[in-house]
Amino acid sequence: MPPSIFHRLILTAGFLSLFHAAYSAAQHRSYLRLNELEFTSLPLDILIQGVTSLFVVMYGVLYIAGDFKEIKASAELENKTWETYRNIPSFYTFNHRGKAFSPQYVQMNSKLQIEEIE
Amino acid sequence: MNDLSNLSWSEARDLLRTWRDDNDRRSEEVLQLWKSVLEYNLNKLGGEKFSVLEQVCLAALDCYQIPTVDYCIKQLSNEFPSSLRVKKYYAMRLEAQECYDDALTVLDSLIKKDETNNAPRKRKISILRAQGKNVEAIKELTEYLKIFMSDIEGWQELSDLYIAEQDYNKAAFCVEELILHNPHNHLLHQRYADIRYTQGGYDNVELARGYYCQALKLNQNNLRALYGVYLTSSSIAASPKCTAQKKKEMLKLVDWALLEIKKRYSVVKDTFTDNNIEERLSVLQIS
Repeated sequence: MPPSIFHRLILTAGFLSLFHAAYSAAQHRSYLRLNELEFTSLPLDILIQGVTSLFVVMYGVLYIAGDFKEIKASAELENKTWETYRNIPSFYTFNHRGKAFSPQYVQMNSKLQIEEIE
Repeated sequence: MNDLSNLSWSEARDLLRTWRDDNDRRSEEVLQLWKSVLEYNLNKLGGEKFSVLEQVCLAALDCYQIPTVDYCIKQLSNEFPSSLRVKKYYAMRLEAQECYDDALTVLDSLIKKDETNNAPRKRKISILRAQGKNVEAIKELTEYLKIFMSDIEGWQELSDLYIAEQDYNKAAFCVEELILHNPHNHLLHQRYADIRYTQGGYDNVELARGYYCQALKLNQNNLRALYGVYLTSSSIAASPKCTAQKKKEMLKLVDWALLEIKKRYSVVKDTFTDNNIEERLSVLQIS
């Protein structure tokens, strides 16, 4: 399934929101430092925003990263047949009937025959 | 065949890619696609261009279309002038023209240049095979496998060669080696069982039954393994060496396999009413 525009938008929105949460957290820390307050925890809204945007990003990524692979190790081989599996290109031999169908080979053959006759 | 010519270049590219990945030897179709579509759109292929050229080159060698072969080799060697991989195609062209001695000289020089390159060594073995010298090919291939022990293709070729020479024990050993490399592949288990079943004898058939069952376990759609289970277990049940307890088990397995086979057929064809399947299967059996 190709990633749709909708899911791309969700992913972008999720990332933006995540960065915004990070930026807010940094802002909060600098605010605390300026006012010489002690850091206890992040404000609740930043926390919620961070966690929600994490889930939004996860949702978007799931649709964009492509299809899942089967967990079974043999799943990819399920539809293979011996006919294609046994075929090894690096051991091809060309000494077979394929030649006989080629117009060029017939020429060579008849040339040989002519030479033999001569 | 006719609708191949009407494909767009991107469809043709995708089709060639699936064939390349699956090792499908569809040389005629590849050539047809090449001549009708891809030859004029070669530069649109981008980075895939050279893989396609190699594929077409092989297909053309298969069909003895020497001008196409020359064109592909020229394109490739323009891009990679000193590549040994491209030079290998020169040797293969000579091989297709049955100039085996010239091909061997080229291959030997390639091996000298790069001892670790296994492709030209494989071609040398294929040449022996093309000449019908199976025994020498086996000898050469065992030498090759001493150096490149983890080459799966080599083991597979060796097992094929041994089967051609009817040396089933050694062929089975090669397939064992393949199973070690790839234990989840149902086709290898099936192949091993095929070899053992061909060998015959109570122990071998028993072994074959186990491997057919394993193949079936790895892939439930493997109908050949299902037939194998049926044939081997019925032949075990009929053997005089078989104990009564075991015979009972085997007959159960026979029934199950038959039922499964019938189920597969009825899925494909709802109107399947053939009751003679048992009779027809028994024709296949080795007695």
